[in-house]
Amino acid sequence: MTTELPPLPVVDFSRIGPALGSRFPDIALPDQNGRTVELHTARAGRRALVVFHRSAAW
Amino acid sequence: MNVLAGFAEQHDIAYPLLSDEGSVVIGRIGMLNDRVFEQHAAYGVAPREQHMGTPYPGVLLLDEQGVVIGRRFQQSYRERETAAGLLEQGFGGHASTHGIEDRAGSAGVSVRAALDSETFRFFQRLWLTVELTVDPGLHIYGRPIPDGYVPLSVEVAPAENMVVGEPVWPETRPFRVEGLDEQFQVYEGTVALALPVTFTARGMSDQTVRVTVRYQACSAADCLMPAALSLELPVRTADLVS
Repeated sequence: MTTELPPLPVVDFSRIGPALGSRFPDIALPDQNGRTVELHTARAGRRALVVFHRSAAW
Repeated sequence: MNVLAGFAEQHDIAYPLLSDEGSVVIGRIGMLNDRVFEQHAAYGVAPREQHMGTPYPGVLLLDEQGVVIGRRFQQSYRERETAAGLLEQGFGGHASTHGIEDRAGSAGVSVRAALDSETFRFFQRLWLTVELTVDPGLHIYGRPIPDGYVPLSVEVAPAENMVVGEPVWPETRPFRVEGLDEQFQVYEGTVALALPVTFTARGMSDQTVRVTVRYQACSAADCLMPAALSLELPVRTADLVS
């Protein structure tokens, strides 16, 4: 017997996170070595990819 | 922090991995996935408290001034792209390395098929690129197309737990043959199209993606025989991060 699963919800991503054309907010968070990284300082005038991930633990 | 340090070491990651304890920043910048339990339900996953506070797995591209110039999200929170796929399909860049390729051809046309990774993981989105190079003076047909002609088509042989998305087709050029009423849409020179390929079961064995490319090459004066070429791309399974 198979159970019907509900469909994946459709998310309007245009409303999620910093908008296109906006400056990414100033954030400061600890990195894997325990050092605080201020994103825009760490970029040092370069482009950056900001990748959001749920967890490295599971 | 131990988790991130271990993860970075295990996967040889040199770029910063940031820890957002308590999801404070994720919440402040509007990235919090507040529909995770609905998404879980769609996959038959039971809700767990540790899943609260996770972000949507989006990718943002910032320019030199820190302005968001690209955003890439997938409806499935499980689906992740390869680095090459993100760069090329998401942000219009060009990746310096690719995974595996196969080549074939017929008179006047060469065909290259490539996957952007040599390995696949559970729900990782790979891009299959098919590139045709058509000799000068020849063209191949796109769609729409009058009856009796063979348009360019790319078919991936179905396989269990492999989902193939719709191809991203390049633009065609209108073309008219003198003396014929019919209007054609054609490709000339180099034509590249891409299809997303996702493997959706855990613990899959190595796979081979089998691709059939069909087309007919013609000049303004006459046509060559229709071609159907088979290409094979073996891709290895990669263990999930435990």
